[in-house]
Amino acid sequence: MLNLIKKEIALCMHPTAFIFLFFAVLVFVPNYPYEVIFFFSCLSIFFCCMMTRENGDIAFSCALPVKKEHIPFAKMLVVFGLQCIILFLVGVIAAIKGAVLPAEQYVNQAGISANLVLVGNGAILLGTFNLIFFPRYFKNPDKIGVPFVIGAIVVFFVIGVFIVLRWVTPLYSTTLNGLNSENTGAKSVALAIGIVIYAVLSAVSCKLSIKNFQRVDL
Amino acid sequence: MNALEVRELTKVYPEFTLDKVSFFVKQGHISGLIGRNGAGKSTTIKGILRLINAEGSVSVFGKDFLKEEMVVKQTIGYVGGGFRYYPMNTLAAIRKAYAPFYPTWNQSKYEKFLSQFELIESKKVKELSEGMKVKFALALALSHGAKLLIMDEPTSGLDPLSREEFCDIILQLVREEGVSVLFSTHITSDLMRIADDIVYISQGKILAACPLKELLCKYKLAHFSSLADASAVNAIGVKAVKKGYEGLLPRDMQISESIAVTDATIDNIIVHLEKENEEKKHVKSN
Repeated sequence: MLNLIKKEIALCMHPTAFIFLFFAVLVFVPNYPYEVIFFFSCLSIFFCCMMTRENGDIAFSCALPVKKEHIPFAKMLVVFGLQCIILFLVGVIAAIKGAVLPAEQYVNQAGISANLVLVGNGAILLGTFNLIFFPRYFKNPDKIGVPFVIGAIVVFFVIGVFIVLRWVTPLYSTTLNGLNSENTGAKSVALAIGIVIYAVLSAVSCKLSIKNFQRVDL
Repeated sequence: MNALEVRELTKVYPEFTLDKVSFFVKQGHISGLIGRNGAGKSTTIKGILRLINAEGSVSVFGKDFLKEEMVVKQTIGYVGGGFRYYPMNTLAAIRKAYAPFYPTWNQSKYEKFLSQFELIESKKVKELSEGMKVKFALALALSHGAKLLIMDEPTSGLDPLSREEFCDIILQLVREEGVSVLFSTHITSDLMRIADDIVYISQGKILAACPLKELLCKYKLAHFSSLADASAVNAIGVKAVKKGYEGLLPRDMQISESIAVTDATIDNIIVHLEKENEEKKHVKSN
């Protein structure tokens, strides 16, 4: 499995997979829907899958001494790793922003502030994308467009839901909004819920993807 | 023990069926898998390697492919045509990713193949000619000590000189390393040069699986002046040629001296057997 992961990183990663990680600094942009940062992560997955197809990687991998089910699993583990990095970076850079900018500049008019809840929301978005994209992609790895478009539509819908919640519910507009130092307990719970949802959705996605890939004829 | 045993390999597609394909490759032998385009050669190879979900069983050096997949794959070197993977990557990058999968990887052997095949590791795959791509695929497959080479049309797209060179390399590998080879092709001159055995597949069914000499000794090519003469002796797959008609006859068949006969080549055998099959299919559908 480790060899497959190394091969993925060496031969199948599109440069955007790493470049888009730096988009975590977008939390410094004032009045911006920060959840969009996580969409870039989804976009990089699309580019990596394109690269996998253009490189004939799946046929190459299947001829290696590995079990067929290991192939989607390794690909998804690499993606999960990248997703964890972007979540971590957003959390860290958001904390830096909170520490260096005056409180009034921390308020976000376009959505929730850059705080722990944003990381939780991001985890839910990424988990949702994983659940929608990967099982469809591994049903037919040559067709990447349709799974991505469906995944992107749902991701933007969920982003919309988060923005609406920010303005219409007191929980999101006051308790979970603002600096991490305010209502830290509630924000930590929101983050934990987001991470649990991410883990569950990604695990289900993994199981479905492996099942679908077993039926694929190359 | 046979290097490869394929038993009742079956795969059903809406338009095509690989129908209970069974054959074996003896250790140290070169077996040619032949048949026209779309006959099922690539499907058979994909079925052997489990790249498609096919029914039937495959064993390699006595080990069941499904039960001992990881061990079996260590002993197989697969060359799918040329090397169509990772066109933008260098050979070195691919080797670095490929080698760790094989505990038996022999770097000095790999370097020996690189120098023998005149491959430069800093080159990208897209910069290689078709012949060089096949050589790179061979270098990878052989440097982990593969004992069975499975190749899907490795010589198609190669010029005659490169094909000759490829055949020399395969012969050398069989003689010096004792590898067994199964390779699909529709270029029969390659088979005449190097194959010990023939597996002939047509419309998803095995028509012959025997030593090459046995297949060649089975038929003779008869030349007839009229269709009536050909029909009178029940010639196989009769077709019009420039002067009269040609068809296959069993070699041991006694015929009139007025019918000219010559040795049948693999091409003759395939062409006439395919023609016979098509005619039978046509009659059946009517």
